[in-house]
Amino acid sequence: MAVIEAKNLTKRFRVADKKPGLWHTLKHFVNRRYRLIEAVREVSFSIEPGEIVGFLGPNGAGKTTTLKMLTGLIHPSAGRVAVVGQTPFQRRHDFLHQITLVMGQKQQLIWDLPAMDSLKINASIYRIDPVEATRRIDELAGMLDLGEELQQPVRKLSLGQRMKAELLAALLHRPRVLFLDEPTLGLDINAQASVRDFLRAYNRQYKATILLTSHYMADITALCPRVMLIHEGKLMFDGSLDALSARFAPYRELNLEFRHEIAREQLESYGEVESAGGHAASLIVPRDRLTHILDELRNGFDVVDFTVTDPPIEQVIGRLFRTGSLEAAAL
Amino acid sequence: MNRYFKTMRLFWTTSLAAEMEYRTNFLISSFTSLGNLAGSIFLIHLIFQRVPEIEGWSFDQSLLVMGFFTMLGGVANTVLRVNLSRIVQHVREGTMDFILLKPIDSQFHLSVRRFISWGIPDIAYGILIVLYAGMRLGLGPLEYAAALLPLAAGLVTLYSLWFMLGATSIWFVKVHNVTYVLSNLLAAGRFPIALYPVAMRLFFTFIVPVAFLTTVPAQAMLGRADWLWLIGAAVFAAVAFLASRMFWHFALRHYTSASS
Amino acid sequence: MKSFAHKLRTITGVQYAALLEYRAEMVLWVAGTVLPFILMGVWMTASAKADLVLQPVEMARYFFATFVVRNMTLVWVVWEFEQQVVKGTLSHWLLQPMDPVWRHFAEHLAERFVRLPILVVIGVVFFAVYPDALWTPGLWDIPIALAAIVLTFIMRFSVQYTFAMLSFWTERAHAIEQLWALPYLFLSGMVAPLALYPQAVQQVLVYTPFPYLIWYPAQKVLGLPTAAGSVEVTLGMAVGVMAFWTLVFILANRLLWRIGIRRYSAMGA
Repeated sequence: MAVIEAKNLTKRFRVADKKPGLWHTLKHFVNRRYRLIEAVREVSFSIEPGEIVGFLGPNGAGKTTTLKMLTGLIHPSAGRVAVVGQTPFQRRHDFLHQITLVMGQKQQLIWDLPAMDSLKINASIYRIDPVEATRRIDELAGMLDLGEELQQPVRKLSLGQRMKAELLAALLHRPRVLFLDEPTLGLDINAQASVRDFLRAYNRQYKATILLTSHYMADITALCPRVMLIHEGKLMFDGSLDALSARFAPYRELNLEFRHEIAREQLESYGEVESAGGHAASLIVPRDRLTHILDELRNGFDVVDFTVTDPPIEQVIGRLFRTGSLEAAAL
Repeated sequence: MNRYFKTMRLFWTTSLAAEMEYRTNFLISSFTSLGNLAGSIFLIHLIFQRVPEIEGWSFDQSLLVMGFFTMLGGVANTVLRVNLSRIVQHVREGTMDFILLKPIDSQFHLSVRRFISWGIPDIAYGILIVLYAGMRLGLGPLEYAAALLPLAAGLVTLYSLWFMLGATSIWFVKVHNVTYVLSNLLAAGRFPIALYPVAMRLFFTFIVPVAFLTTVPAQAMLGRADWLWLIGAAVFAAVAFLASRMFWHFALRHYTSASS
Repeated sequence: MKSFAHKLRTITGVQYAALLEYRAEMVLWVAGTVLPFILMGVWMTASAKADLVLQPVEMARYFFATFVVRNMTLVWVVWEFEQQVVKGTLSHWLLQPMDPVWRHFAEHLAERFVRLPILVVIGVVFFAVYPDALWTPGLWDIPIALAAIVLTFIMRFSVQYTFAMLSFWTERAHAIEQLWALPYLFLSGMVAPLALYPQAVQQVLVYTPFPYLIWYPAQKVLGLPTAAGSVEVTLGMAVGVMAFWTLVFILANRLLWRIGIRRYSAMGA
């Protein structure tokens, strides 16, 4: 029984089409023009309990919009969605008790007070009795390596400590489903790693389902056996990281060893020469022409040995984020 | 229900604790409140200096209205302004998401989240003036009790209007400017509504119902309030409150949540 | 000197363009100054019932004039300066070869030009609704009224900019402005024409800055004589008192600026 189930999920926004400047403001006032933007288009997927799923895509791809539909913050324009068997947008208390949302760049803790005060408020809102709340705070604080920091005003904490305290506040009610939007944004490497370790431990201990977005590939590779890739509102890929790289990294690195010495110029017609010298060379070739090129090379030269490797996943998705377009990344 | 009271108590104690970080505010505002009070009494004195009563209101009776005005101003500063002006901020910064995802009524959460002590001096001064004016007018406990219903109705009305205005920030991020106009219009509650020309009286009764906030409680105390007015005030408050709840649910359906 | 005037004009122009973006808000900000109209209503009723020196129509004119004066002499520099000190953005302006005061001054100046058209519209509506309140100013009344408003603005600006200097020592410099707002509200003629105040109070007030913030320029806008109690406030006296207070505050301001800026840079601005 899936814990998150989305079927043809779609969100259209109507945005005012207004150019800057006084004239256009006036024109807009008289004659409003709107454009329909499809932020999310017919996205379908289902997530089983206990899974950690990474949600990938360039800025503006529709990740946050999807997350907000799953948490019930916005109403889908079309399609169906069920989280823990409920319709999120009704935001029934029973549903809210089972989920949580952590946003890296927004905070819920009271700025001027120790995090402990905010935790007490949350305990009261989620009907956790004080003894149980203290027990859970101690337990989570232990996992997060938080101690006295909880007694200091939040504004005096470092970014990393603050994020950990935010996580604690978000998890006090032991949600079954965690939605995390850029939970490691702006954190240094160490803090990122400890947030990751915590999430993994939490997932194991409470069998919690986690759906997270992140710009840091390290978060994804370390945590998510499964990834979903969204681009221009469409779900382009849903599967394992390896399969992702196979699909979106259409290049292979071909390492060759020849019996005779070989010159760089001799290889240039076969592919992009990364290195060449002596008996060895390495080439970058399109995946779909790999066998063909390999055959030609073996016909033309005396090839002793060869290996084929994938470029690292970080490089693939990094390129995807940088260019913001799948077509460009696939080139 | 118990949980709501408990949560509110936590909200307010933490709010006060946070405020203690800036405690000079309280000292300054209790001083300015006192100055404001002296000035307001002086002003009423100026108005009545050559005439014992205007449109059926004497100096002491107007003082009563002023007392209610000061009191309501205090309440507005203590809980209304500070919470309802935050709605805009929550929408703009996207922290509204956290509030909507809490298993507690979001209107309740937004309305009572904060508590600011600066308004307390005004509440205290307001009560003192009402007591003082009541003493000079020879009013008894029964008369004081008569003011309670319309006063409560006035508060609920004020809250509901303010909340609805704040809720429009779901669509218009710059609502605080409108709130600014509203809170300035409320200054008309300083004087009995009868002291205004007819057009203004109508405006402050039916469009911005300032009359219900301060004049009607004073009238009730003076035993001049029509039953019709009192019932009207209560009905108006109930309708306004229900409207605020319905409006909030309507607004939430349009909440798109500031993107990322 | 010429280059200074040029700089000031340029900054004002830029600020004007920036503020134009806020014209929708500006309408609400101007509409927010409803207090003069509320008081107008009360005083018109009161003066219809009793002999209060002024007739209802004169009350209407007086409070309309206070509305104009208040809007044209609005100052907010203390809040802005305080933010600049707290957030450290003052440093950017310190690096420029122009005293920051002129930047603030230009911003206030530019804002007047955005505000003025809105005041005109409100004026037209007001006199359309209440035509009896319309009056015909004399030939010299207009330049004198304008000069009075300019002097009032300069005095208010000097006072508030001096309070702003306290930002170097406290994060709540605006609190002192809030205290100042009390006499500004009750002793300036904003809540009642000065003539209605007790004689003794009037006689003392004319030597303080307060009546010159509202009452004096308002009377000038209406082209009315300015006498307070038995004191005849002549043009010379008004200019004298205003100049005196303005100078006192400017001197205090420069002194605080020098000490404060040293403190600011010592703290590692």
